[in-house]
Amino acid sequence: MDTKKEKIMIVIGGLVIGVIASLLVFFGNPANMGFCIACFLRATAAALGLHRAGAVQYIRPEIIGLVLGSLLMAVSKKEFAAKGGSSPLTRFILGFFAMIGCLMFLGCPFRMILRLAGGDLNALLGLAGFVLGILCGVFFLSKGYSLKRSYRQPVVEGAVLPVIQVVLLGLLVAAPAFIFFSEEGAGPGAKHAAVAISLIAGLIVGAIAQRTRLCMVGGIRDVVLFRETKLLWGFVAIFVSALVCNLILTAATEGTYFSASFAGQPVAHTDGLWNLLGMLLVGFACVLLGGCPLRQLILTGEGNSDSAVAVLGLVAGAAFAHNFGLASSGEGPTMNGKIAVVIGIIVVAVIASVNTFKKEQA
Amino acid sequence: MVYIATFYSHFGAVRFKRICEGAGRKAKMMPVPRDLSSSCGTCVRYEGDDPCPGGAYPEETEQVVEKTDSGYREVYRTKDS
Repeated sequence: MDTKKEKIMIVIGGLVIGVIASLLVFFGNPANMGFCIACFLRATAAALGLHRAGAVQYIRPEIIGLVLGSLLMAVSKKEFAAKGGSSPLTRFILGFFAMIGCLMFLGCPFRMILRLAGGDLNALLGLAGFVLGILCGVFFLSKGYSLKRSYRQPVVEGAVLPVIQVVLLGLLVAAPAFIFFSEEGAGPGAKHAAVAISLIAGLIVGAIAQRTRLCMVGGIRDVVLFRETKLLWGFVAIFVSALVCNLILTAATEGTYFSASFAGQPVAHTDGLWNLLGMLLVGFACVLLGGCPLRQLILTGEGNSDSAVAVLGLVAGAAFAHNFGLASSGEGPTMNGKIAVVIGIIVVAVIASVNTFKKEQA
Repeated sequence: MVYIATFYSHFGAVRFKRICEGAGRKAKMMPVPRDLSSSCGTCVRYEGDDPCPGGAYPEETEQVVEKTDSGYREVYRTKDS
């Protein structure tokens, strides 16, 4: 497959994903949140009782679908390979702080695009920060940043997190008393499409993302490093198709799926500086991880235990964010959250430096 | 002949490109082609008569393939990859 065919495949994949994301809102997900890896991992963490934010408790089937969709596609194409051992604890910390940045902004890079497609202009500041963060990461990449290499591992190692997804699906369907679910009207956790719809959507998007290697970070990183726009087109295609679908839904239904403004946007705040800094932290951490939160889930489905560790870091970050009052709300960011983002940027810069300049001296 | 080498890190690609250029080879860094891997790392596309410009493949090298009319032919793959 040449570059042109790859590009066409990515654009088609992005268009399909944008439509699915928009339709998930139509079927019940919170506004501008057809997909949000950060919000959905946070909701799953809440459902498991890792934090007690009552408004966001739900085991999100989309996450389960993304991992299993990637797994099924990887297995069918003989690309499933258990590998790992590349600086796992460093990846855990990077995942942790990527989540702190996401919950400052209130969304992962995927949701940032969907927020833009819903007319949420605050996401423009997020996008600016995201690009700046990626540029920070690319600076270190070009100076020699790398984590240790990965190695082949037993299949069971790569299968652990996918199996956990199956267990989570069982818990979602069985709904035992020890799993927390937001009560009707309590907040975003109570708004969701039917389990089967969410699961199928996740499976389809997971399979597409595995085939196309779609990555919100990779798109911008490759443009900066190689002037290669292939992955970026996937990004653009998601935005365009979600935007068109939102406009059609707004015209054809009683709901509002597109409204261009800064104020009054769903699950968002208007503090531009902290929207920017939050996503700067996300972009920076994700370049060092080698991909955005969506990509970490997809690689987990392919058997990459390093990405599975990064996902666990994201989950731990979500739990900390709510247990220590770091997560923003529609009211805006918290003081604790601002301090955590600044600490996060410093920690990520230290990780980048330690894994760059020691090698130059070696 | 045209070869493509993939690496465990971006830095590995940077160093290999320098080796190629030091050996007078035409080389450029680019994203790994989808047909070659499901990972989205950096590879080096280089030209020459033999696939190993520095005498031995650096530690960070994952695989090297020769580009053919019908696709790719593997010429090197590191252990445990």
